[in-house]
Amino acid sequence: MSLEDYRRDMETCRRCSTCKFIPLEKVTGYEHVNVCPSIARYNFHTYSAGGRMVFGVAFLEKRVDYSAKLLEVVYNCQMCGACDVSCKYSMDMEVLEPLYEFRIRCVEDGHTIPVLDRLINSLRKQGTMIPGAKTKRGQWAEGLEVKDFTKQETEVIFHAGCRTCYDKALWKVAKATVSLLQRAGVAVGIGGENELCCGGRAYQTGYKEDFLRQSQQNMALFKKAGAKTLVTGCADCYHAFKVLYDKFGMKGDLEVLHTTEYLARLIKEGKLKPRKKVAINATYHDPCHLGRLGEPYLHWEGKEIPGHIRIFDPPKEFRRGTYGVYEPPREVLRSIPGLKLFEMDRIKEYAWCCGAGGGVRETNPEFAQWTAQERITEARQTGAEALVTACPGCERSFSDAIKENGSRLKVYDIVELLEKAV
Amino acid sequence: MIEEGKLAEVVGSSNVSRDPATLNEYSRDMSFVNTIKPAYVVKPRNTDDVKKIVNLAKETLTPLVPVSSGPPHLHGDTVPGTGGAIVVDLSGMKKIIRVDRENRVAMFEPGVTFGELIPAVTREGLRLNMPLLPRKSKSVVGSLLEREPVIMPKYHWDIADPLNCVEVIFGTGDMFRTGAAAGPGTLEEQWAAGGAQVEAAGPSSASWYRVIQGAQGTMGIVTWASARCEILPSLEEPFLVGSSELDRIMEMVHWLIRLRLPNECFILNSTALATITAKAQPEVYTKIKQALPAWILFFNVAGYDYFPEDRVKGQVLDIKELSQRIGLEPVTSLGGVSALELLKTVQAPPGEFYWKQPGGWNCQDIFFISNFQRVSELIKAMYDIAAGAGYTTSNMGVYVQPIVQGVNYHVEFDMFYPSQNRGELEVVKKLSVDAVRQLIDKGAFFSRPYGEAAPIIMNRDAATVAALKKVKMILDPGNIMNPGKLCF
Amino acid sequence: MALKREVYRALEDVVGPENISEDPVVIESYSFPIRKATTGGKDAYLPRFEAITLPKDTAEVQAIVKLCNKYKIQFKASSTGWLYCDPTGPGCIKMDLRRMNRILEINEKSMYAVVEPYVIYAQLQAELMKRGLNCNITGAGSNCSALPLAAHVNLGHLSQTGSYGERNLLALEWVTGDGEIIRFGSLGSIGEWFCGDGPGPSLRGIIRGNTVPLGGLGVFTKAAQKVYHWPGPATFPIEGVSPRYAPSYIPPGFMIRYLSFASIDKLIEAVRKIGESEIGFELMGFNAAMMASNAATSNEEDIKYFKQFSAQVQGPGFMVMIAATSPRDFEYKKKVLEKIMEETGAWSLKAVEDPELGPGFLWRFIRTVGSIRETSRATGWGGGTVGGTDLFPLMTKYILHTSYLKEDLIKRGLILDDALYPFVQSIEHGHTGHGEILIRYSPSSPDHIANVQGVLNREANKTAIEGHFGVPHHVWSDELHGMYGPHTSNYHLWLRKIKKTFDPNQVSESSNYITAKE
Repeated sequence: MSLEDYRRDMETCRRCSTCKFIPLEKVTGYEHVNVCPSIARYNFHTYSAGGRMVFGVAFLEKRVDYSAKLLEVVYNCQMCGACDVSCKYSMDMEVLEPLYEFRIRCVEDGHTIPVLDRLINSLRKQGTMIPGAKTKRGQWAEGLEVKDFTKQETEVIFHAGCRTCYDKALWKVAKATVSLLQRAGVAVGIGGENELCCGGRAYQTGYKEDFLRQSQQNMALFKKAGAKTLVTGCADCYHAFKVLYDKFGMKGDLEVLHTTEYLARLIKEGKLKPRKKVAINATYHDPCHLGRLGEPYLHWEGKEIPGHIRIFDPPKEFRRGTYGVYEPPREVLRSIPGLKLFEMDRIKEYAWCCGAGGGVRETNPEFAQWTAQERITEARQTGAEALVTACPGCERSFSDAIKENGSRLKVYDIVELLEKAV
Repeated sequence: MIEEGKLAEVVGSSNVSRDPATLNEYSRDMSFVNTIKPAYVVKPRNTDDVKKIVNLAKETLTPLVPVSSGPPHLHGDTVPGTGGAIVVDLSGMKKIIRVDRENRVAMFEPGVTFGELIPAVTREGLRLNMPLLPRKSKSVVGSLLEREPVIMPKYHWDIADPLNCVEVIFGTGDMFRTGAAAGPGTLEEQWAAGGAQVEAAGPSSASWYRVIQGAQGTMGIVTWASARCEILPSLEEPFLVGSSELDRIMEMVHWLIRLRLPNECFILNSTALATITAKAQPEVYTKIKQALPAWILFFNVAGYDYFPEDRVKGQVLDIKELSQRIGLEPVTSLGGVSALELLKTVQAPPGEFYWKQPGGWNCQDIFFISNFQRVSELIKAMYDIAAGAGYTTSNMGVYVQPIVQGVNYHVEFDMFYPSQNRGELEVVKKLSVDAVRQLIDKGAFFSRPYGEAAPIIMNRDAATVAALKKVKMILDPGNIMNPGKLCF
Repeated sequence: MALKREVYRALEDVVGPENISEDPVVIESYSFPIRKATTGGKDAYLPRFEAITLPKDTAEVQAIVKLCNKYKIQFKASSTGWLYCDPTGPGCIKMDLRRMNRILEINEKSMYAVVEPYVIYAQLQAELMKRGLNCNITGAGSNCSALPLAAHVNLGHLSQTGSYGERNLLALEWVTGDGEIIRFGSLGSIGEWFCGDGPGPSLRGIIRGNTVPLGGLGVFTKAAQKVYHWPGPATFPIEGVSPRYAPSYIPPGFMIRYLSFASIDKLIEAVRKIGESEIGFELMGFNAAMMASNAATSNEEDIKYFKQFSAQVQGPGFMVMIAATSPRDFEYKKKVLEKIMEETGAWSLKAVEDPELGPGFLWRFIRTVGSIRETSRATGWGGGTVGGTDLFPLMTKYILHTSYLKEDLIKRGLILDDALYPFVQSIEHGHTGHGEILIRYSPSSPDHIANVQGVLNREANKTAIEGHFGVPHHVWSDELHGMYGPHTSNYHLWLRKIKKTFDPNQVSESSNYITAKE
């Protein structure tokens, strides 16, 4: 699909502004009604999905052209998909897809942001979207006795992801994951130094060809390993493997699970028994790419039936965030004795983004941090002492924000807390 | 000045008066405004007469003072503010044009009094949302245009209620109809189509009726009005609640109205209630007043067409639970006052007795609007101010009327004084201005400025005055309409 | 026509450089999406704003207005900006009031709330509910501004007991077209928000009627509105995931029904009875198509529900909701409703009584979230005609005239066939009402639009004027005011005087109001 293919969707925008807010049925007060960090920060309608739909059409009609401002607006968006969910509460139209296509068009036409070009260079040369050497990718697993799926047949693969591999503070989460899986009797394998970037962030930032290359290489590796299940603790990677690879016909029969899904299953099966008390008041942040964007991809090919109501042949089902991964992380948390879960106002399909997605952490660190600070404030208002999440990208974003504002809120990955309890 | 002959051509010579006694009557009223004699008193018979008079006045820049009620006038708005004025007395325009049960509306001319309108609407199964005990000569149109508070807050959705539409001759000489009455079409064509001049707002993006209300005749002369009516209950059960603590009464009033339970609902102090019920009998007055608690809430629960007994019973039980939570008790009689008798009194067409002039006494009233929170403190403040001025506060009636469905409270102090007591008169006269000044500073909003206090009230906000003057320039550029009133 | 640098810099000095933009990407995004099909491929577009400004408070708004007067440029202020927000000519800037988004006061005992323009109704209602209060939400949805002067009319689902903007408005703060600040009523006099009238005449009368000036008469920067008792829970017990939310139960004291009638006369009779007996909390005359769209979470489902509901209604209908203040009150109201249903031969739509769908309907109609589904999801394009505000039977009769036109349009395949029943609503226990015909279609060309909307508009105007049905809400612009005015006490001449008086330099862009032309 191309940007032109989404013209009809973009023209369907009615300028109702619901893309700026959480689903209206769920508003419970004055605060925390915004769901789009972009317009919440920059205020011009331009930055909302509605604004992007309009200038998307204008772009196709050549009424606006590439410019520094255009790129700035296009890339000041975490691609979190909240607008897509809010809009699709009422409308049958794609919102996030044209946003992806716009970025892909920018890159295809050679209009890029230098810092993202550097990241892609890193991907091409070192196989990572987080700066670092390929040779150091597997360092997090030193000392772990775990098989290398690139060398042995492995049914269950654990994919650590670039963020975890190159962020020492996050190694403990990956280690804990492997440890828990092994304790549950899972013969898990990792890629170590040979693990490849999923390519998800490349896709989000418009570098479609780089993403496709990564996906092809990854699937070749997984096929060679005879992998049946891929588990990852990174929401971005999860979304890439489960949704994007499927979108482009790469995924095949590979079962893709987030660690929380797998751990919840293991707990249910009695293979992991959280027994030790972990007395902590926590609130849970739904990562965008695990939550609303984590629902399965829906393949559809057909056409719109001409007429006065927009329906398709065959009928098209829209992804609306309904089947995102919301409960498994909460099930894991609820299984931990002594843990009290306090929900924030913006959760599940309308969770506020951590700020890091869509390349914003790299292209506009100040905006990324602002977004994270908003979430930290919301978390603190629950009275919780800990902000728990299920994505290293979110964890890094929150940790940096807490360091910046001196808050005493602690950030954990779910896996860390489960490990304490088992 | 319009020549007398020209006036006679319009209304007939019998409807133009230069008789000194007549002019004298219109030159003063019960308030303390300056006495200014009009040049003529003219009594138009219909809209056409009024239009012609206004156009003549426009040509000659003759001030006009519209009057629709009969005496006694209390607030000075019908006394000319300037010399050489013509009083346009509309009290002879007494047509009740239409009463429409289905659409719950009545339409009538300015000379129609409550006493005349009530039977007409009653016959159709309707009732008016009345002010509290208007005098017999009070014009309904006059009351509506003054934004007088009404005693059924449940049916008072907006401060302008129950006024719907008006036909008005602006100071420009143009005739205009507001709201749905504007058209398209004549009134007859609208009626044929099923219209009834109910919608007050508009047409389109302005609601001129709001500008004419509260204007004290400074924008134009209204020649008929339509008013929203409510349906007559088939069953009523009134109650009184007494307490020495006004705050408790206020709490109960808030919830009664918020839950839309009663129809009639208002608060009086013992002086006011005793005055109303004693009907100028001093011994009776004293007896009742001594038997009453300081504050009395009156409310009335009603049922209509569908299962009225169930409705009344259910609401009465709900109210009893509510009052228990607050620590009050609704009763059917209090201090010798029967709730049922009081209900009949406030619903009935006005008789000869006017409670603001109870045999040998006069009354100067001060009234304003407050939010819920300030009512008690403003009342206390007024007692302090009045006592400090040497007024005998036991003679002061207090009337608190929740309006706009409980969003606002009309607070009224009725300063009774013996009509022959010069000393008391002077105290009251001074107080009527001084109290206003002090109460404004404490958070009283005087939305209806009259008499000598009007400049104090208007001058609180220069921007509003400037805007009003601009509106005046649109509707009465020649300033012929009741000049000297408000800020004009 | 770009702004002169001097002007741009002056505006920048007011709001700060990050709160003004004339970049083509930014100004383009403030236009309502244009479809090539609707313009016939011609290179003709609505003029864009010269710049977008984001003032943060009344002082900045006033400064901008004064600059516009000085430099003779126009402005159009808007909040959430859904429709009627575009200029008709060059030389106009936008004031996007997004940064003015505070709830200033909620006075529980005096039952009013004060907001700035970019508070949305969902926020206000949610805060009010915590305090046992509720507000009338603009029918377009709780995604819209909570200022009772922002929406076109501000009628809403709660109008049966919660009236509408013209009557709920209390004090307000207004920056006039010539840059004066006027604070109405008690606000100007004593700094309080509870009353918008006086002293003396009420200036509320010049700034709105049934409809608002839609940006053509200065800027309303703050306003207070009446709010109402809320007998329900502080937070509604909503469960589910988008797009399917529903309360897990219907709270005690609440009940919702959709009633259909054999004829419009029976419907009118039922509305009158429900009004006079004061039992309805909400009463909205949605048709089966709107009910279907409201419940459906996709167009496919919309079609399915419409088929199902159409088969279960006997004619025009309305949704009625009871919200009681006590168990006795509930039993009484329920009993009366049943009696009225019996007397008028009403059928009750099973889907609404169904515990599966009913609670969702109830909450959606309280939170007012269905309008987008009802009007926009089908194709993203809609239209129709609206009546004015006047007697319920009169407004219903008026809109029925237009519904006959709809039949022909459906037959010719020009619009979606979603039956002919109008949408009507009751206000203040049936004292007044309003009606609309809503159509949905996918325009293929400007001619298509002319053959649909153009025809409806012409016939609507003809019917309103010749049939004496009052001034409908769609009447704005010099042309339409000029058409209606001579039949309607020449109101347009007086309206023009307001414009001329309070915006002498005509800097408020007033294509949706009236100009001050001679």
